[in-house]
Amino acid sequence: MKGYGKISCKKGNLLSVLLKEGIYVENPCSGTGICGKCKVRILAGECSPVTETERRLLKPEEIRAGIRLSCMTEIDGDIEYETLQRERRARVLTRGYMPEFERDVFQGGYGVVIDIGTTTVVMALIELASGEERGAVSMINAQKYFGLDVLTRITYEYEHPETGMRRLQEAVVQSVNAMMREVCREAGCERAGIRQITVAANCTMMHMLLGVDARSIGRSPYNPAFLEAKSIPAGEIGIEAGKDTMLYCLPQVSAYIGADIVAGAYVCELQRTKGNILFIDIGTNGEIVLACGGRLLCCSCAAGPALEGMNISSGMRAEEGAVEDVRITEQGIELTTIDDKEPAGICGSGILAVVKELLRTGIVKKTGVFIKKEKLAETDYRCPMIRLNGSKREFLLHEDPPLVVTQGDVRQVQLAKGALLSGFTVLLEKAGITTNDLDKVMIAGQFGAHLPADSLTGTGILPEDVKEKLVYVGNSSKTGAYMALMSKAVRHEMEELADKMEYVELAETDNYERIFTESMIFPEF
Amino acid sequence: MSVKEELLKRLSDGVVNMEEDDVAEAAQEYLEAGYPAFDGIMKGLIDGMNRAGQLYEEEEYFVTDVLLCSDAMYAGLDVLRPCLPDEEDKAKRKGVIGVVEGDTHDIGKNLVKIMMETAGFDMIDLGRDVPLQKFVDTAREEGAELICMSTLMTTTMGGMETVIHLLEENGLRDKVKVMIGGGPISQRYADKIGADGYSQNAVEAVKLAKRLLDIA
Repeated sequence: MKGYGKISCKKGNLLSVLLKEGIYVENPCSGTGICGKCKVRILAGECSPVTETERRLLKPEEIRAGIRLSCMTEIDGDIEYETLQRERRARVLTRGYMPEFERDVFQGGYGVVIDIGTTTVVMALIELASGEERGAVSMINAQKYFGLDVLTRITYEYEHPETGMRRLQEAVVQSVNAMMREVCREAGCERAGIRQITVAANCTMMHMLLGVDARSIGRSPYNPAFLEAKSIPAGEIGIEAGKDTMLYCLPQVSAYIGADIVAGAYVCELQRTKGNILFIDIGTNGEIVLACGGRLLCCSCAAGPALEGMNISSGMRAEEGAVEDVRITEQGIELTTIDDKEPAGICGSGILAVVKELLRTGIVKKTGVFIKKEKLAETDYRCPMIRLNGSKREFLLHEDPPLVVTQGDVRQVQLAKGALLSGFTVLLEKAGITTNDLDKVMIAGQFGAHLPADSLTGTGILPEDVKEKLVYVGNSSKTGAYMALMSKAVRHEMEELADKMEYVELAETDNYERIFTESMIFPEF
Repeated sequence: MSVKEELLKRLSDGVVNMEEDDVAEAAQEYLEAGYPAFDGIMKGLIDGMNRAGQLYEEEEYFVTDVLLCSDAMYAGLDVLRPCLPDEEDKAKRKGVIGVVEGDTHDIGKNLVKIMMETAGFDMIDLGRDVPLQKFVDTAREEGAELICMSTLMTTTMGGMETVIHLLEENGLRDKVKVMIGGGPISQRYADKIGADGYSQNAVEAVKLAKRLLDIA
């Protein structure tokens, strides 16, 4: 819901004051005046004058309506405000593909599996005797108040050396406890009946869950404090379960190849394949694992948040009302939104669909630039879809509410695409194989599951010739945690797998800049 | 159009159109025809690179395109530079550039370096993950008037402030202008740490550098 409120403060930054009061305002750039997302409307009270940065990031009509970027606004005294983001129902993926395996844990009571993502935490309650799921829940990671991405949260640890680690740990442990209460209520069982918990997470989240210093993950040479699997009493980190409940954390490979990826690679059986299989988890960081000739190569690509609908001018997360698919025809533009609600913004799958369509219809050229409007005949169906904003071209996706895709948005997608494809290319080159040699490409993760093959290859994130080889495996991180819950042999094999995975640092690869540059070229239709 | 003008145009267009091989070839022909290397660089290659920068500013070109243009420019420079008379270069204003310690992302920095060199600056490139003291030491040893720092990560941006403190401690702060840039960097951050300027992209960086050093 939109939030109205009143706060008072002697001299302070509006965003900091709001966050301190526990009022959530989206701030992907952590209040540095870059992203333009922390909009708040001032209803009454004195504020500092509108800054240049705000004039650049806000529309004139927004400024006239009293909308400010809270990070750029200083207040002194009483303020009445309205926050503009609505809390929306997010779509979370909790299921996926699972290979057959032999369980060797046979006990009574319950187990809990957790996948801790930077954005979302997913949990399931498992009846150990039957192996059946008795309850499942997902929640936004409460650490979001400390920043939306891992680096910002690590920065929080740098800036608060005394308290940072503890506060980040408390946030995620509180989330876990709240979720456990929820699943137990759903299943009608006592938390004391939980015997074992298994956790998959990215490396930063794992450090923060265990209250281990994550700062070294955020700086070259990116050495985490630990990589190995851990088994500790859950109570030790404040998790409220049974008296002797144990917590097992899956093993990790490097700062940017965490337990979530080891879990995924295991679920996709990369450790035992004889063929060439590529595993890719697409998100703010894209992780890729390639199994080839008995070797397992992996890398992490900084794709940026564009593919999750962030850093995009009309971007939003995959929540109700988000445009998730687009079709451009001579008759006009067809939109599909989540839950068929009025379009409110464009989520990651939507922005990819738009870019794919812009490329297909020639509105955007393979270098990523919009076609010049004057090059089109006035009668061309594409003409009214392109709008000039000053000298800059933008694509008008929807009139009211206005949703546009700017040249800058296309560039953000292009950067993400370049990062992912460059990782793909480097791993194949290292293994000495070509796209033709790949048997399967496994798409994992929350975000990947919503990306049709058309969008993935149509935007050139992956080459056209893998289109028929794509397999969607869903939330393989959670599945891996489940398998580890049900089998000690699986845990052992996962630990061996993590040891075998060879991490490739893209930035240190010969000729990387050239590969990245070439990877940014969009496919031609 | 004279033969010389035609070749200069071919050099310039070749850079804009990212035609590495043709630029190298045109540069060779240009030399064989006996024209001065200096004009070939300034009125051919640099002219092309400036046009590429203009297109970048208009959002027509992107990082990728500019990098490919610069490949073509450097291919031409490799041919022409050895034929430059010796006395050039001394009038060039010097700058030190690098990605601060802890960060290994350097594509943005490379782009700034290219545009600064195109604009006539002598840039000393320290690369990436550069120890902070090294910015200061190099600036002192080389008599540089500019330090340009970039980072893509919030975890390492604090290093920029440290460099400014180190300059103060070494009594160099009033001799060196500090410019910063990169993903998480903003004008506000530049103001906060007392940097002389922030630029959002490589073309702006050149304008900023010229403004800071009073170059028309």
